Amino acid sequence: MIAFIFPAFTHDYKNHPGSELPGFHDSFNSLLNKASIEFEPRVKHFNFQDNTFLDDELLSQYITYIYSCASAEALRKTSVIPDIAAGYSMGIYAALADAGSISFIDGLRLIEQAFLSIATKTSGTRFAMGTVIGLDLHDLLKIIHAAGNSLEITNQNSTHSFVLSGICKEIEIALALASEEGALHTKLLKVTVPYHSRFLEEAAYAFLAFVKEIPIEPASTHLISLIDQQWFSSPGEIVWELTRNLYFHLNWYKTQQYLLGIGIKSFIECGPSKGLVKNAKFIEGNYTFSSLDSLVV
Amino acid sequence: MARITENTRKEVKEIIYVFFADECEVDKSQINDNTNIIKDLDGDSLMFLELIEVFKKKYNLDIELKTIGKYAVKHPVQTIGQLVDMQMLIIEHENRLLELDK
Repeated sequence: MIAFIFPAFTHDYKNHPGSELPGFHDSFNSLLNKASIEFEPRVKHFNFQDNTFLDDELLSQYITYIYSCASAEALRKTSVIPDIAAGYSMGIYAALADAGSISFIDGLRLIEQAFLSIATKTSGTRFAMGTVIGLDLHDLLKIIHAAGNSLEITNQNSTHSFVLSGICKEIEIALALASEEGALHTKLLKVTVPYHSRFLEEAAYAFLAFVKEIPIEPASTHLISLIDQQWFSSPGEIVWELTRNLYFHLNWYKTQQYLLGIGIKSFIECGPSKGLVKNAKFIEGNYTFSSLDSLVV
Repeated sequence: MARITENTRKEVKEIIYVFFADECEVDKSQINDNTNIIKDLDGDSLMFLELIEVFKKKYNLDIELKTIGKYAVKHPVQTIGQLVDMQMLIIEHENRLLELDK
């Protein structure tokens, strides 16, 4: 069984993994053109070498989404069809578009509206996210308590890899403490939004009002939630998943383990990142986790 | 504690060279002890973590990741040669690695 996993927003498109995938560029250029005509004219200026463009958080999110949709489209054209799919963090929009639940353009509208809702409800406070690799959960919890009360572990990627969200200053303190405690790697992520934390609850309900206006069809692919590892497919379930995805904690480690348990043997990272492929080396099991470039014969 | 033999260093070096050649998609002949892991090979911390797991399994090591992390803060590794040296210390001293600084 094959799983398409749609990655979160990224800011790096150099050496992108879809470059050699048959049909990728046709799909990407076609979707980019459609997005520029029907939604946001500025996206047509994107090119893979231009990093300046990627300094704009929202435009960059559009490109990740377009890229992910194009990846899935190119794979389907070569008869690589998923049995199940998951949207990792903000990859949920591409997962829904690929499953036929939302139109391609409505996916862009949802990304824009989520961004605007979050910006309105979190203005005035400097938030951040960070990653810590090399400590276990017990050690990290002690650090979080010492660093400040805004911090939450908002995702676990493997036994020793975690994502934190909270107020920027406290994230910085936590990362410094984690390094002192022996973390092999810490990094402040290039985002100003504390995704998947309680700080986005208000924004999520503002976003919900918009989500309810979007036409949503039942998903044609089985979709799994990273929040509680439950399947969702009906329009009502999708509306709720889109809403809570902004402020509920995720657990990718648990999700991948669950998928392995039900017999998924082949995972494909459908997007510009290879982060989940790298992470998979730390999750044991008899399976393959492929990036787009590794699928090229 | 793993038993260090004459061949251990050779073995460790070979594993590290093959690992980075494979992970970074470069020919093994292009790697030497002075090769900078980040600048020359575009390596990252996940590779370092993966390599630690390889050695933990191979030599049945009793060492916590955070012990290695604390040691690495004081003794940063930049080149392949430095990584071989550190790995030898890890194999030899395991969880007593930090006692080397006392």
